[in-house]
Amino acid sequence: MARGFRLSTELVGGVLLGAALGWLLDRWLGSSPWGLIVLVLLGFAGGVLNVMRTAGVMSSGGPKGPN
Amino acid sequence: MGDPIHQFEIKKFFTLGHLGPYEIAFTNSALFMLIAFAIVALLMLVPTRQRALVPGRLQSIAELSYEFIASTIRSSAGNEGMRFFPLVFSLFMFILVVNLLGLLPYAFTVTSHIIVTVALALLVFFTVVIYGFYKHGLRFLRLFVPSGIPIYILPLVTAIEVMSFLSRPISHSVRLFANMLAGHITLKVFAGFVTMLGGAGILGWFGAVLPLGLTVALTALELLVAVLQAYVFAILTCIYLNDALHPGH
Repeated sequence: MARGFRLSTELVGGVLLGAALGWLLDRWLGSSPWGLIVLVLLGFAGGVLNVMRTAGVMSSGGPKGPN
Repeated sequence: MGDPIHQFEIKKFFTLGHLGPYEIAFTNSALFMLIAFAIVALLMLVPTRQRALVPGRLQSIAELSYEFIASTIRSSAGNEGMRFFPLVFSLFMFILVVNLLGLLPYAFTVTSHIIVTVALALLVFFTVVIYGFYKHGLRFLRLFVPSGIPIYILPLVTAIEVMSFLSRPISHSVRLFANMLAGHITLKVFAGFVTMLGGAGILGWFGAVLPLGLTVALTALELLVAVLQAYVFAILTCIYLNDALHPGH
């Protein structure tokens, strides 16, 4: 359970951060809803990246290319 | 049945002063932080005063915890990481003692409040950012630019890397906070079942054995979670500090 919990917080953290940043950006720039859409997707991708790193699919030191 | 959330209530003991519109109060949270600080200080200072060649029990605890954190830092952040030993060791001991204190009956769990864990995670985050820029200057930003990526998808990958970096303090803090919160609520709910079933007559007494056994088992599990989460927080701190020390990969 601890492992699954760890992975899920990584993913949720990324999405939440993207949503928050996108919402703020929209409020400042008046670009609603594009900032939210783009940043939620980016946050989702960042969360997936964190999940993959935590799970050890990729090397924990960061990306080293497509191997 | 007792309210399972009641244990997380902040109680104000007395007011220390005012900072602008905010009241600075001495709460039960502050009290348990102080107790944890005192325990850590006593555990580290008193047994090491003798400096016996053959350590006694308490000195063994102090030495073992030193060795444990030192080897964790060396394996995940290298020998340069040892300059952050005071930070990582303080974080580990504080979270460990605070988590274990929270398991005692009537005790308050400081780490079950997200503001505390966010403060700790942001401390680590800003240490990484400030030290990274101080040590490497703008080359620290190479952390976000992986090598070996074709130029046409590089902007996208960089944006994703930035998001991945920025979301770290969220998962770092939420993990500790949610583990402690969920564990303590589960414990309280199952313990509440015991009294509820016990009040339902003689059949209830037999039924109450099940949640009672579960409560005992969950307490053991919570002990594991308390230690494990302190360790996870420390090792993630090491991994993040490793980025500040060696950003180029």
